[in-house]
Parts: sequence; structure tokens; C-alpha cells
Amino acid sequence: MSTKPHIPQEDLALYAMQALTPEEQRAAQAHLDVCAYCRAALAETLPDVAVVGMSAEQQAPPEGARQRLMARIANIPQAAVTPVKPPAPLPPREERVTGFWMGWLGWAAALAMLAIAVYLGYGNRRLQQQVSEDRGQIARLAAGADRAEAMTEALTSPAAKQVTLTETRGPAKPMGHATYLPARGALIFVASNLHPVPENKTYELWLIPANGKAPMPAGLFRPDAGGSASVVMPALPPGVEARAFGVTIEDAQGSLTPTLPIVMSGQ
Amino acid sequence: MDAADDMGLLTRIRSGDQEAMSALFDRYGTMVYSVALRVLRDRGEAEDVMQDIFVQVWRNPGAFVSGKGSLAGWLVVVARNRCIDMIRRRRPADPVELFSLSSPTDLAREAEQKSLLEKIQGLVNSLPDEQRKSIELAFFEGLTHSEIAQKTGDPLGTVKTRIRLALTAIRKALTV
Repeated sequence: MSTKPHIPQEDLALYAMQALTPEEQRAAQAHLDVCAYCRAALAETLPDVAVVGMSAEQQAPPEGARQRLMARIANIPQAAVTPVKPPAPLPPREERVTGFWMGWLGWAAALAMLAIAVYLGYGNRRLQQQVSEDRGQIARLAAGADRAEAMTEALTSPAAKQVTLTETRGPAKPMGHATYLPARGALIFVASNLHPVPENKTYELWLIPANGKAPMPAGLFRPDAGGSASVVMPALPPGVEARAFGVTIEDAQGSLTPTLPIVMSGQ
Repeated sequence: MDAADDMGLLTRIRSGDQEAMSALFDRYGTMVYSVALRVLRDRGEAEDVMQDIFVQVWRNPGAFVSGKGSLAGWLVVVARNRCIDMIRRRRPADPVELFSLSSPTDLAREAEQKSLLEKIQGLVNSLPDEQRKSIELAFFEGLTHSEIAQKTGDPLGTVKTRIRLALTAIRKALTV
């Protein structure tokens, strides 16, 4: 609970747009860290800010932009699914990192969740929305069923690759076991006796493709109090043969490329 | 801007479906590009930002996981913040001036999306000039309140009040 006065409404709006001075932005951030009242007030302001962005005059992307995007992603592996962080205040602008995904993902996601409330109240579309929501629910259920099927196949199929990972240095106490079915891109990884990692760090599992391409991130995990952890069905494309699996320690948000040393590996 | 359809697309993207990625681009590419272009005023840079954002969605579609979230609002703010980062890094070499884009383009992929965006544009344009100018300087130009006050010659408190009034008016107009 904060003992300081609440942030004025004007300043909350400016904070949402990073339009306070760096000092004020830091002070507001510190207050928001401890004041639920102001966090709630900020949450009410964020959707309005998003609407301002939608007022930009619409301009079609340059010709060929979609083709260029598709060409880029064709060679880019997808990262393991990472959970959405809870809404977090923006850091002062001079402290924000170039990697935009890390800096303001939290509040942008919070904004998105709230912005929908604005849209939903927009006109008399309830029936249409219900139909759409049902469609989405069906799609999610179908995706869930497919995921369960792939998981079962990964555990039972003779074609599934079984890999046991051990620590590369010192006593081989920490153990990891990966079950991987390349045809489905289905991976289940279970580890035990893991050493704890600092709060700002995480273990990251890597799939090392057999074709010599760059290691693919295959999920973040932190051990529980007993040293156990698992990664179940991370987002991996089907059809990638694995030469090996490895584990590194990365910053808490994970990484797209492994940071040495590899603390566990197996093939 | 249907949340259920958006989640369906993201689910497919998560499984590596490139056609779903293409569909997502068709749905929101213009919106993201427009925000980037409005902030950066450079078509090449705006496309770079747009491409980077969609590549990030491809890399990690799980970053947006919600049954209730608005992907449109999220993308707009992601694009805006990315662009503001860029212009703040390149200041003060490029002085910031209000800039109006010409040549309206073909927006209509979905009548509903077009209708909503037109209403929002009309709403912001209908704000009193000083309110609209203040909030656009903050949102699209990335100026702080003190920079806005210096630019417009208005007292700091006045700038703050105008921005608050503008956002309040937007909220009222969209929730009635």
C-alpha cells in the first residue's frame, strides 16, 4: 500500500503515453508499483490511449509488403510459447531497451484487454459477437484436442525420439528427459534435481536441428522447490529432425539465441 | 476486429500456419503501417517497423494470449511505442513538426473495421483544436508535457488538462 498521494488523473494519462519527464515517469512508476488504486485508474485510461492511435489516417502498406513479410517468416523459427506477464508500468523512456517486445509488452497487453471493452460497447453487436465467440471457442477446443492427440502420440509412438540430458560439467545430478516426435513437432521435457536459478534468470530448452540450422528455442522453465520442471508441447514447427537438445540459462524473458555455456545437453 | 477470429488466427500461427500469418497481416497490416507512418513520416521506416512487429508476432504468438483481448489495440500501441523509441533516439537532429498525411487510401478490407476507424478519426478530429493538438503531440510525436508546453507556449497545467479532457471526451463518445 502506498502512503503517498495518488497520481493525478492528468499525470496518469501522460504516464500512459510516456509523456512525463523521465524523473516524473520514474516517480509514477514507483508509486504504481505499490498502489492498486492508481493501477486501476491507469487501466481505465489505457484503452482511450489506444483509440488515439486508431485515429491515424489509414494508409495501405507498400506494394509487396506482405510478400516480403512471408519471405522473412519462412526462415524464422517460432519461439516457445511464453506466458503473458502481468501488467507492468512502463520504464522511463531513456531506460527502455531496443527490444521492444520486452519493454512494454506488459502494459500493452493490459491495454489490449481493456480496449476490447470499448469495442464491445460499440453498437448493438451482441448477437454477432456471441456467434463469433462460439466459433472461437470451437476453434480453441479443436486446437486443444489436436494438442492432446499430439501429446499422446509423442509419449507412445515408436517414432518418438527419446533423449536423456545430463549436466555437462560436474556431478551429473540434474537430469532432463526429452520425448520428441519430429513429424508433429511434439516435445515433452521433464527435468529433475535442477539447481535453482536467480529470479532474473530462467532455464531455456533448445532443439538443435539435424540440418545444421540455428538452435530453436523450445521453452522456458524454472525448477520448483524440489528441483523439478517440465516443458510440455512448446510451439515447434513439425518436420524438424533433432540432432540434440540443450539447456542454457537465460535472462527471465528468454532468448532467441542460446547463451553459453550449455548447462545440459543430450542427443 | 473480431476477438474470436483473432484468437483463432493466433492459434493457427502458433502451430506454424503461414497462411494464418498472411491473414493476420491482411487484417491489421494497414492499421499498424498507418500508425507507424503517422509517427515516423517515412514509408521505408514505417514498413520496417510494421515488418518487425509481425515477425515478432510470428516468433512468439503466445505473447498475446487472451480470450478477451483486443489484438488491434495491442498492435496499435506496440507500433506507436516502437516508433516513438525510434524518433526519440534520432532527436534532436530531426525537429518535430505536426505533419498531415495526404492521399487517403483504400482501407476497406472489412466494412466494420472501416466504420469504426472512421468514427474514431471523426471523433478525434472533432476535439477542440488545442486538445487534439496536445494529445497528438504526446501520442504521435512522443513529446513530454513540458515539451508540448514549450512548443505551444501554453502553461504546463493547461497542457495536462487538455490531454485529460481529450481522453475523457474520447471515452464518453465511445461508451454511449
